[in-house]
Amino acid sequence: MPENTEHTSEVLHEDQVVTETHEEVSHSTAGDDSVLASLGINGQLFAFQLLNFAIVAAILWFLILKPLTKKMEERKKMIDDSIENTQKVETKLQMSEQKYQEKIDEAKMEANKVIEKAQKEAESLKADMREKAKKEIETLINQAKRNIQIEKEDMVEELKKETADLIAVAVEKIIDQKLDAKKDRELIEKSISDLQTK
Amino acid sequence: MASEIHIPTLAPEVLFQIGPVNVTNTMINAWIAIIIFLILGIFIKKRINLSPGKLQNYSEYFLDKLLGYFDQVTGDRKKTIGFLPIVGSIFFFILLSNWLGLLPGTGSIMVGHSMLLRPANTDLNLTVAMALVAVVSSHIFGFVAIGFFTHLGKFIQIGNILKSFKKGPMAIFTAIIEFGVGLLEIISEIAKVLSLSLRLFGNIFAGEVLISVISALVAALAPAPFMLLEVLVGIIQASVFAMLTLVYLTVATSKPHGAEEH
Repeated sequence: MPENTEHTSEVLHEDQVVTETHEEVSHSTAGDDSVLASLGINGQLFAFQLLNFAIVAAILWFLILKPLTKKMEERKKMIDDSIENTQKVETKLQMSEQKYQEKIDEAKMEANKVIEKAQKEAESLKADMREKAKKEIETLINQAKRNIQIEKEDMVEELKKETADLIAVAVEKIIDQKLDAKKDRELIEKSISDLQTK
Repeated sequence: MASEIHIPTLAPEVLFQIGPVNVTNTMINAWIAIIIFLILGIFIKKRINLSPGKLQNYSEYFLDKLLGYFDQVTGDRKKTIGFLPIVGSIFFFILLSNWLGLLPGTGSIMVGHSMLLRPANTDLNLTVAMALVAVVSSHIFGFVAIGFFTHLGKFIQIGNILKSFKKGPMAIFTAIIEFGVGLLEIISEIAKVLSLSLRLFGNIFAGEVLISVISALVAALAPAPFMLLEVLVGIIQASVFAMLTLVYLTVATSKPHGAEEH
């Protein structure tokens, strides 16, 4: 306290303008409270320092802190989003890969089935054809056999006729006069029928 | 010897007047800080981008570190951002004005008989202003966050007394004690302003006096370690002030203890 008053009195000698202001400050505060005055608390100065701080706060918040925090938040959100997106894309990729594999497996299975079916069909077709061919061959053989039979019978018939004629001619020549024509005929016919029964 | 050493007075010196306004040397320092912040702010605001440049990168780095510390107090990034306008500006302003007070010329450039530059926080007006802003805003945040009467109920606990009548004499006794504690809380709110403002003022003022005395005794080199110390004191006091403000804000916006029990 004494130092302070000493200081003001010094100022009085030194500078007129500063002295005046000093006195004003000390006057206005000394009236209120000597402790506050000695600490330099002064209503007007306080108000202006408050204003100063308000300006600082406004500048700091609106020009520096708010834009920075906003951008930081935005960037964080963007990064989070992109990470999430990546995960989504990955899971989608995995799912589509799985689906692709499933489709391929399905296609393989179907192809196998088709091949199997075709093989079976071919097998049955083969068997059918064989059966058919066999039957045809049999019928052909049968027909041929029948033809042979018929021809054989014809030949036998003809041979008989010719043999009878030949025998008749031969017998006529051998026993020309011994028998009349009527008896002769009967004899021949009898011998032929005998031949036939035999 | 004593006359040679110029020990700064407690009160800031009025340099000149603009109309009725006294302009003090501490105010000039505060305005230098304001101008620096303004220039920095214009640069940052202009160049701000999602992919940061150099300036933005550095400031974001510091801000992110700071927010990390703040989060430890508030426990929630959202809350931290909500308090940042007050706590952030208090921190950066105190830090810058403390460090500005170490610039050469502070305390040595004289206008008439007084110094042209003086650390802004050697003015108790400024520290009281900031402390008041901190404490008052903590109450405003408290009113907004938990409701007017809930917050008021932390200090004037009449509600507890009324409720305690149903619970018997012991409950009335505790309620009366709690009422007294609530009244003490009001005093502690005033003490908060005092302690915040005087702590900052005292530290910076002491640093100023120390450096001016040392410089007067030994002109060169000797003050350097003390100035380094003051650099440290500057950031420590800034963070102490900001952290305490943050604690006040956090406490004020949290629900009163045992509100559910009563």
